[in-house]
Amino acid sequence: MENFFFYFFAALTLIFAFLVIANPFSNNPVTSAMFLVLTIASLAGLFVLLHAYFLAAVQVLVYAGAVMVLFLFVIMLLDLKAEEERHIRAFGLGAGLISVGAIVSIFLISLLKAPLLSNPAPIVHGDTLALGKLLFNQYSLPFEIVSVLLLVAMIGVVLLSKKELK
Amino acid sequence: MDQIFVNLKDWLVALFPAGRQQELVSALISVAALIGTFAGLFALTTVLERKGLGRIQNRYGPNRVGPYGILQPMADGLKALTKEDVVPRSADQVVHFLAPLVLVAPVFLALAVVPMGRNMAAVDFDAGILFFFAVGAATELSVFMAGWSSRNKYSLLGAMRAIAQMISYEVPLILSSLAVIMIAGSLSAVTIVEKQAGYSGLIPHWFVLTPWGFAGFILFMIAAAAESNRSPFDLPEGESEIIAGYYIEYSGFKFALFFLGEYIGLFAASGLAITLFLGGWNAPFPFLTWIPSYVWFFGKLLALIAVFIWVRGTLPRLRMDQLMNFAWKFMLPMALINLLTAGVWHFTPPGLARWIICALLVFGPYVALGRTLFESKKLAKRTYSYAE
Amino acid sequence: MSYLSILNLAAPETIMVMTALAVLAADLLFMRELERGTRQLIGAMIGCAGCLAAVAWMLVLPLPEPGSLMQGLFLVDPLIRIVKVALLALTIFTVLISMEADFTQHIGEYFALILFAAIGMMFLVSTEDILMIFISLELTSLSLYILTAFNKRNIKSAEAALKYFLFGGMAAAFTLFGLSLLYGISGSTNLAEIAKAVSGKSVNGLDPLLIAAIVLTVIGFGFKVAAVPFHLWAPDAYEGAPIPSAAFIASGSKVASFFVFAKVMMIGFKGAEGSGSLQAWMPGWVPTLAVVAAASMVLGNLAAIAQSSVRRLLAYSAIAHAGYVLLAVMAVPSPLAPHTSPLGPLVYYVITYGLTTLGAFAVVSNVQQRTGGDRLSDFAGLARRAPLLSFCMLIFMLSLAGIPPLAGFFGKFYVFTAALSSGGKSLGLLWLVILAVAMSAVSLYYYLLVLKQIYIMPSTDQDTPRPLSIGSQAIVFALAALVLILGCAPGLILEPVMSAIKVAGL
Repeated sequence: MENFFFYFFAALTLIFAFLVIANPFSNNPVTSAMFLVLTIASLAGLFVLLHAYFLAAVQVLVYAGAVMVLFLFVIMLLDLKAEEERHIRAFGLGAGLISVGAIVSIFLISLLKAPLLSNPAPIVHGDTLALGKLLFNQYSLPFEIVSVLLLVAMIGVVLLSKKELK
Repeated sequence: MDQIFVNLKDWLVALFPAGRQQELVSALISVAALIGTFAGLFALTTVLERKGLGRIQNRYGPNRVGPYGILQPMADGLKALTKEDVVPRSADQVVHFLAPLVLVAPVFLALAVVPMGRNMAAVDFDAGILFFFAVGAATELSVFMAGWSSRNKYSLLGAMRAIAQMISYEVPLILSSLAVIMIAGSLSAVTIVEKQAGYSGLIPHWFVLTPWGFAGFILFMIAAAAESNRSPFDLPEGESEIIAGYYIEYSGFKFALFFLGEYIGLFAASGLAITLFLGGWNAPFPFLTWIPSYVWFFGKLLALIAVFIWVRGTLPRLRMDQLMNFAWKFMLPMALINLLTAGVWHFTPPGLARWIICALLVFGPYVALGRTLFESKKLAKRTYSYAE
Repeated sequence: MSYLSILNLAAPETIMVMTALAVLAADLLFMRELERGTRQLIGAMIGCAGCLAAVAWMLVLPLPEPGSLMQGLFLVDPLIRIVKVALLALTIFTVLISMEADFTQHIGEYFALILFAAIGMMFLVSTEDILMIFISLELTSLSLYILTAFNKRNIKSAEAALKYFLFGGMAAAFTLFGLSLLYGISGSTNLAEIAKAVSGKSVNGLDPLLIAAIVLTVIGFGFKVAAVPFHLWAPDAYEGAPIPSAAFIASGSKVASFFVFAKVMMIGFKGAEGSGSLQAWMPGWVPTLAVVAAASMVLGNLAAIAQSSVRRLLAYSAIAHAGYVLLAVMAVPSPLAPHTSPLGPLVYYVITYGLTTLGAFAVVSNVQQRTGGDRLSDFAGLARRAPLLSFCMLIFMLSLAGIPPLAGFFGKFYVFTAALSSGGKSLGLLWLVILAVAMSAVSLYYYLLVLKQIYIMPSTDQDTPRPLSIGSQAIVFALAALVLILGCAPGLILEPVMSAIKVAGL
């Protein structure tokens, strides 16, 4: 049963992710963004299968909720008429397919050849309490650095979106 | 009496063979009960709201269908079902169709984690409160989908207003509940309610009766009103400017679904407020504990809905800039201060001193912030000049 | 791990964060009304003071107990200390160079971002944990993207930043994928633990998953150090970014990235080296890097010849130098001589290279301020207008080309020797060293092209030369002097580094 759900959500994730970048029905960026939401939601499903409910909820809350809505905002504010009528050039398509094919084949070969792990993965402690304890004890330093990272991002956003006064 | 529904469900489930089938049946019963109860409550609320508003505005309200107009929701439902469903030709058909569903499904999901009585939460899991907010985030998406797919500039404007408002008020909403989560030490709604059980003398241990809880409750209620686009935060549908916002191109049953979604969202938010601050299904006084827990929950829910109706009948609509200023300059700092106060509360020994310190910590900034905002022109009191 | 002990261990970084916040706050709160020159002066002073305080903290105070290492999340050892001091020195010079900048009004933000990038680099070099590596890599990169886009009046700056950002985002995704495979293989984020799992896997041939992990990790770091074929952002970023930003990308970021690159490869993939020798080619990370290094050297040097913009030329030269440094990364100590760690030559090389490019960019900055461009022809006749500046440029260019007795020569010398001695008697990497020496000879040509413009071509601009500010000349002169001194006495860096390596047991 777990296995079935895993493959189900994994397949959904892949299909939606594909539709984000190459939707045969629509060239509209908004549609792509909406498929991205679905991708993220199916990803959250995978997290749930790992019993990482916290991560799943955060994934939906942050990405599908806030981030994607802001994406959509930006897409709406930009004039993307040109994007809708864009045609993929044969060269770009060819080069892209070749490189993607190369990477996929590397992964397929390596994954097929890879022996099953002899030591099973450690039992995942996905519950909020364990996660919080790890985050604020063992990983408090990375956690703090991430706060600096977010500050940098914030400065950057304010700065780049400000009108330059001459 | 208290466990009657729980026992009923257990009895029903026991009729089926054990194993996966029982789990499925159990889930289905919970879902059916949730949908049934809250759809009923929705019908009741619409008529109560219209009656209440009528009372406030010195008119009758609905009084034609059934005794005292009590069957009005039936008539409304029939009308919505039989009305022609008009979809604009240029609309994005799929998205236009999906938008109301994307609104309604998550709000019911959100209700699943709210405990409505002793042992009466449909789902109790570790990150329940977070789950509530996570599925709540889908409402923003549905609003966007509705506004964008309609291909109508008023729809789009309404959607943009709504999203800006929802994103802005989501921050204080979550921050104010964070104080409770911090003190309770759990993200599970059931645990949070259990932490509020018990009484000191006659006074219940509800979080709303602490300084930070009180401030948090007020902040939460304001933010919840804004989140569910209730008056005085109903700019997205401001009919005088943008007709009906993102609803414009919806008619018939899809419109009814939107309506339903908004109300269920309001119930969910009120339910969460009850869970977080008002002691959940706990009775207010120790000598009233014999009354079943779900009665208390739904009583509190109806009381909160009454407050919302009262606010709607009383306050005028805000302006967009006032709305944003209020969110970022008042709600957000207050929520942060409240969080800090909750921390102070946690680390000071119990007693009167803790009470006074925390009350000052919340009240001082409240006065200071209010003063500065009031004095800056943006939020200045409006002066009215009456005709002679 | 309590916060106090973290603050104690990471005190230099903490000081830097405080400084960055102080610069930001001072500029935003108190200096809005002041003139730009004053604001720049005060901002730079605060920034430099913070860097110096961090340096002083590291040099004066004794090392904390080596036991308090937070499971490899954060390390403090003498070698890391030296690299951090070097990074801070480069930061100070970058801050000083940007004092003359006139491309932005947001001075506080600019200095703060330089400091934040430096903080990212400091964390990057002081960890042996892939989680920390990734986060600090992102901190550095994000700050550098913004620094690249800082000149909002110039469309090229925006273009450069976008390219840098998009490439960087892709590379970060690849790195993350590679690192997550590593975590999957070993179940740990610590490099030493990973190495245990890795060497266990490579008893009979390499684990295919491991190969994928190696390739993906190399892609990510290859982007950071601008090695071919992940170099495409570099010429545009160097050309479009504001000069101090470009200088910092070329110097500080390179030092930190190469150090951590080498550490990840040497420690994390220990036991999966393979062999890059032509006779006994064996899959592993050494042959992967060998291909990348060879491509970088060839493409970087050949493409540099065709450039007419000095900044693009410096970019391609940086790509070529990335190829040389990769030689040091590959120089795994052979079992015959386990005590010749290639980290010593690597650290020496990247530090002197950082100082040299920083100097070259400072000269370009001066020229661009006077002539408005950085084409080769803008340098024509510089020797007559600014003899001191030209002499400094001479030193930088010759050092980059590797002419003794400048620092660049010894850097190359040590790196090549390390690469040669790595294979033991078989001289496995000999072919790469021969290629590197040949390509160095090619590089001399385009460095001389610049010098030819400066010393031989007649000046094209008819204006009376504006006098250079003494401050900027002093910076350039100081950098040139450093390059000269470190070249004449390489032991100044090498000896402490070597003894530090012994202490660290690498």
